[in-house]
Amino acid sequence: MLPPAKKAFHQPYSFFIEGPVGEERPRRFLEIFAAILKHSNYRFLLDIYSRLAAKCGRCSVMCPVYEASGDPKDVPCHRSELLLRVYRRHFSLGGMIYGKVFGSGFLTDAEIDAMAEAFYRCTACRRCNLECPMGLDHGLITRLGRYILSEMGIVPKALVVAVREQLQGPTRNTSAIPERALVDSCEFLEEEIRDAKGIDVKFPLNVADAEYIFFAPVSDYLMEADTLMGNAAVLHAAGVSWTVGTGYFDAINYGLFYNDHLLGRIARQLVEEARRLRSRKILIGECGHASRAAKFFIPNFCGGEQAPPVVNCLELTWKLIEEGRLKLNPQAISQTVTYHDPCNIARDGWIVDPPRRIIKSFIRNFVEMSPKGVQNYCCGGGGGTVSVDEIRKFRTGVGGKRKAEQLRATGAEIVIAPCANCKKQLREIIQDYGLPMEVKGLHDLIFTALETEGGKASPIADP
Amino acid sequence: MEYEWLTFARGPLFRLSLMIMILGLGRLFFIALAGMLQAYRRAGNKALDGSRIARQTAAGFVPSFRPHGMRLFYSIGSFLFHVGLIIVPLFLHGHIQLWEKGVGLSWPALPIVWADAFTLLVIATGAGLLVRRISYPQSRSISRSQDFLLPLLFLIVFISGFFASHPNWNPFSYKPTLLVHVLSGDLLIMAIPFSKLSHVILWPFRHLATELAWRFPPEAGSRILSTLDREDKI
Repeated sequence: MLPPAKKAFHQPYSFFIEGPVGEERPRRFLEIFAAILKHSNYRFLLDIYSRLAAKCGRCSVMCPVYEASGDPKDVPCHRSELLLRVYRRHFSLGGMIYGKVFGSGFLTDAEIDAMAEAFYRCTACRRCNLECPMGLDHGLITRLGRYILSEMGIVPKALVVAVREQLQGPTRNTSAIPERALVDSCEFLEEEIRDAKGIDVKFPLNVADAEYIFFAPVSDYLMEADTLMGNAAVLHAAGVSWTVGTGYFDAINYGLFYNDHLLGRIARQLVEEARRLRSRKILIGECGHASRAAKFFIPNFCGGEQAPPVVNCLELTWKLIEEGRLKLNPQAISQTVTYHDPCNIARDGWIVDPPRRIIKSFIRNFVEMSPKGVQNYCCGGGGGTVSVDEIRKFRTGVGGKRKAEQLRATGAEIVIAPCANCKKQLREIIQDYGLPMEVKGLHDLIFTALETEGGKASPIADP
Repeated sequence: MEYEWLTFARGPLFRLSLMIMILGLGRLFFIALAGMLQAYRRAGNKALDGSRIARQTAAGFVPSFRPHGMRLFYSIGSFLFHVGLIIVPLFLHGHIQLWEKGVGLSWPALPIVWADAFTLLVIATGAGLLVRRISYPQSRSISRSQDFLLPLLFLIVFISGFFASHPNWNPFSYKPTLLVHVLSGDLLIMAIPFSKLSHVILWPFRHLATELAWRFPPEAGSRILSTLDREDKI
């Protein structure tokens, strides 16, 4: 027995796009949920999770948002329950019988609003998973909640606009950079490298049969010149065979944050370009979510073992240093440096040591933050939230509070963050908390310290 | 009158509870297994890191000693609670006698001193966990009725059991204590498949299930859109 259609239109947050006015939102939510359960692999999992959850609250001690807000609705298990409750009531035998007998518990508009808020207060950093004794993956539930909401049009505008351009727009990337502008940008970087290092590094565009096809988070071409120069100089100095495809050059994959279908569509675009140029491997620049989206979802969407292997630039650069193919001046960086682990590469233990080994190979004053590695805190801008400027106060004031405390405690002058989104968030944290430090990519510093044959010596920093 | 209730509770009712538990858990087990098999067949990436999953699953059996407020307490307390919970029902001499009478099986019993120690351990940790759940806002705010009632039921089972074993210390008379023990025990066993206690069968699968769920079926997205009669357009 459905509740009467609501005429009122809810738009909880100005930064959300929302579907047509006057729709029966609960009905749409349930239709979408049903379609997803039918075709995806979520159903058995929700069944298991809805029975397993111990409701112990141990997850709460790990969550940076809860630690800062103290609000029970930020307890990860509370948030997951918002969705599990809907599953139980509408899609499980027991729940449906209960509903028929008691005539209660039908999904409401208010609950949808609560979910929209909760799933975007969460950054899906999955730190809570480390503590949950029942093995619930709250980040996966957050993503599923966001997937359902996105199919009914409840999703931050910033993410949709970016993905729309990437999948349907003429430029095929999230920053709407036309191909001509990319080529100009690469030429500009080549000049900068020549000025700084005295070497002729080329961004090899559209080279067929290269070992690596390089995808940076496309915003780097606009905002992180140092990182890209570092990437290019490293590959050049070590004699690596690589290319950038002008047909598609954006590693960013916001589908990882809110929509499984778009995640797959974007992943396929990377592989399509790799296959067009017959590249053997895919190399991702300094970006956490892009790396994880490529590493774990290219095999998923593009043929399992047939898919091209994915390597993150930190893995490759460390390998090159280990093999002695790169020379870094140990006196080039004198500042105290600390390292932030981007959740998407560190939480599962994928890339934790290599960046530290790189840093220790040429930077004297390295101080770790605490906790570090797999246990490190999210910058506060994960899960796409960094792209939503309207919630900056929440992001830095609540979500990023623990990170700000960590940064302050290190006393470092530079925080290295090999992730485009983390860089933006950490800079905002530094600004909002007045921290006396700056954010750099790892390849920025590598570029400064890189010593090349026939090139200029890298500057020795003032002690 | 009590005697008849007791025979009923120990006999037919116990067998019924056991049957409900076994069938209920069996059902959940097969549903979970079928779900995981289907997920695997649909998965885009079938390569599973078996040893990593096994390690993560096994790691849950050992309590976490990371000192951080309630974590330490919950982790160690819960571990000790479960140890006693599993050992006492299975290895108490009195229970083994019941099994022998009922199904003709028997096995070595725990010395009474150990059984007492484990029982008291269960009562202490059980009570501690319940108090913690009530007093910590993070746990209290997300707890449902079963999260308070089930620990209470456990306490009733173990306290009444302890008193039944030690009539000298029992403030109540023997037969009613035993009746309470058996009835609450039956209720607990029956509740297993229908509550979060079903984790007895589902818990070992938690990491494998999560891992499989992350393997999104590559065609799911388009099928979902077509089911919803929508274009693949943003």
